[in-house]
Amino acid sequence: MADWTAQVFQNEYLPDGATDIHAIVTVTSQDTGQAGESGGAAEAVIIDCSGSMGAPRSKIVAARQAAAAAVDEIADGTWFAVIAGVGLAQPVYPPSGMAQADARTRAAASAAVAQLTPQGGTAIGQWLLTAYEAFRAAPATQRHAILLTDGKNEGETAEQLRSAVETVTGEFQCDCRGVGADWDVAELRGIATALLGSVDLIADPADMAADFQAMMQAAMGRGVADAKLKVWAPQGAQLLFVRQVAPTIDDLTDRRVNVTPLITEYPTGAWGDESRDYHVAVRVPAKAVGAEQLVARVQVEVGGQVVTQGLVKALWSDQSDLTTRINPAVAHYTGQAELAQAIQEGLAAKAEGDKDTATFKLGRAAQLAAETGNEEATQRLRKVVDIEDADTGTVRLKRDVSKLDEMALDTSSTKTTRVRPS
Amino acid sequence: MTCPSCGEPVGVDFAFCENCGASLPDRATSGSPAVPEVARSGEQRSLVNVRTEPQKAPRPPCKTCGGLIGDDGWCTVCGARASNGREHVAEQPTPTVAAVSDRGLVHVRNEDAFAVAARDGWTALVVCDGVTTATDSDAAAYAAAQAARNVLAAAERPTGSPDDRQRHWCLQLKAAALAADEAAEGTADAGDGNPPACTFVAAVADGDLIAAAAVGDSRAYWLPDDGPAEQLTVDDSWATEQVRAGVPRDEAEADAKAHAITRWLGIDSPSVDAATSTTTATGPGWLLACSDGLWNYCSDASALRDLVNEQPLEPLARAEALVEWANQQGGHDNITVTLARIGAV
Repeated sequence: MADWTAQVFQNEYLPDGATDIHAIVTVTSQDTGQAGESGGAAEAVIIDCSGSMGAPRSKIVAARQAAAAAVDEIADGTWFAVIAGVGLAQPVYPPSGMAQADARTRAAASAAVAQLTPQGGTAIGQWLLTAYEAFRAAPATQRHAILLTDGKNEGETAEQLRSAVETVTGEFQCDCRGVGADWDVAELRGIATALLGSVDLIADPADMAADFQAMMQAAMGRGVADAKLKVWAPQGAQLLFVRQVAPTIDDLTDRRVNVTPLITEYPTGAWGDESRDYHVAVRVPAKAVGAEQLVARVQVEVGGQVVTQGLVKALWSDQSDLTTRINPAVAHYTGQAELAQAIQEGLAAKAEGDKDTATFKLGRAAQLAAETGNEEATQRLRKVVDIEDADTGTVRLKRDVSKLDEMALDTSSTKTTRVRPS
Repeated sequence: MTCPSCGEPVGVDFAFCENCGASLPDRATSGSPAVPEVARSGEQRSLVNVRTEPQKAPRPPCKTCGGLIGDDGWCTVCGARASNGREHVAEQPTPTVAAVSDRGLVHVRNEDAFAVAARDGWTALVVCDGVTTATDSDAAAYAAAQAARNVLAAAERPTGSPDDRQRHWCLQLKAAALAADEAAEGTADAGDGNPPACTFVAAVADGDLIAAAAVGDSRAYWLPDDGPAEQLTVDDSWATEQVRAGVPRDEAEADAKAHAITRWLGIDSPSVDAATSTTTATGPGWLLACSDGLWNYCSDASALRDLVNEQPLEPLARAEALVEWANQQGGHDNITVTLARIGAV
């Protein structure tokens, strides 16, 4: 049985008249076991085989190796399929539905992926629907896919993609990877976020196999098929937002399902042995000094059972030494969320040729990255801007920036660092 | 039998109400085995659990909105904390011993707790005051007071010279403080950054011998009908430390930090070696152990004696009257008064 804990970080003391409470809830799961232990697991590997994958040829070669490396990691008994993304998706292995992994089927799948050839266009929505068909043929409840693309979704309309993503949302999770510099970060991030997966750039095709291997290993190590975050707030309260803030920023607010007028629920997908941080913000009517109130119960539910709970409280006080403290975790993640937003908005402005906004936003990003100790973000920012003074957020846009460096900055903008030990 | 705090039925030999966890009037304390032997730590925790484990019986509804109270002790509708059943608690185990604890007028909950024992020839009073700024300190105070009382109630009545007997009681009081600390620690949740904490004061009257011990700023007083009244304990507080360091008392007590306690019980307590003191009654009087909810309004021992003696003579009525008086002064804190009449009435 998995072991769950929830820890709350907040300053529960509010000054007279204050209404907003912020808390970071760290949820940790341990001893989750292996994927598929309850209800079986299924994996789909979706490889972009559009014509552009052949130019340069190293991309399709790397993709074949990466698909084989992922298939190698699929545990015996897991259902799986490999799908080629062309104008319309084609099953690569097995010919239809899914096969159950063993030495023979893994070898057959590897032989089949070695034959992958670049042809046709990019229609990611079609690929996802084909994967969904395959998943539905397998008797497994824990479903995960890996999707690789090298281009923009030009083989179908944006509406077709949106509709396909909507159809498969909640049906399987999908980690998305873009290779090269010709894919659209925002587009792929939208797909990955909806399907509770990660998004990343593979700048060098040579790194693809190791990345696919790691993704599949991680998927096989997720022993809890599906967990939900449930948030209760008292009558009269307004839940301002629920945001995952570590390991990556993901605003869950729009994904809420109202369970009761006081309880909302958010899908969080499968869990391995890991820790995720959530930022919960609640607004309640102010109470008299001395009063206290429970303002949120943050629970994790697995299979209909609440497995852990964190309590967020408010206590109105006239002691300013208590009420003026800002909780370090809340401050840190507020900064990290703003950092992600500043990077994304700055890059979008730069792409539109709005240099003033780009300079301002990326300057703010450099300042926040320094303040929150996010070294990785600082390093990536340096490839796009010259940081003259991180304290004041003074930067200059670099003249010649590699597209890949910009995309790396964009895709990694949602990755957060944990709170620095004080 | 019903619980005096919440009105739920209770068994005749129960020490605690299964519904609200209130300590039940200790009818059997005198000469009965109902009081447990000196509890080992595991047993002390089980005492704590009497009130913290989910109850089978339905909880009383939320006092604020009438909603259902969750297993976590908070209302599932309005988010109010469930009552701990201790808004006003009173006990009178024997005609000469009484204890009253009250929420006061300002605090949301009563985080004070008392436990008293009246044995054949001697009496023990214990008061613990939960630190409001720490989590669930009411549970710590309750557990600590019970554990300390159990140590003292199980003590052998000493024989020998008055000095020997006083030494015996001082050792018992220190042991009671340690047991109280362990019980308070048992109420902490793992990883709680702000674990529950409470003060401790205990006083014993054995014939004419009186001994007291304290950690924090709850106090014991000996208030003889004739002769000088005495404060038996010294506060572990910022103000007291300043006075000790040479700062004039008025100045130290006027500081905003004056009431900050420098020692307490609980998992993060710096030290629990309770300071003890003794005195000898030369005539009849009142032994008083109380929380700062009372003495904040009347700190001086002589003034306190006059105040106590203005109240009705009967111990429970007198304790109730003192609580009522503190509420009339503003009731800014929880108020706990435990009284034992020593010698003839």
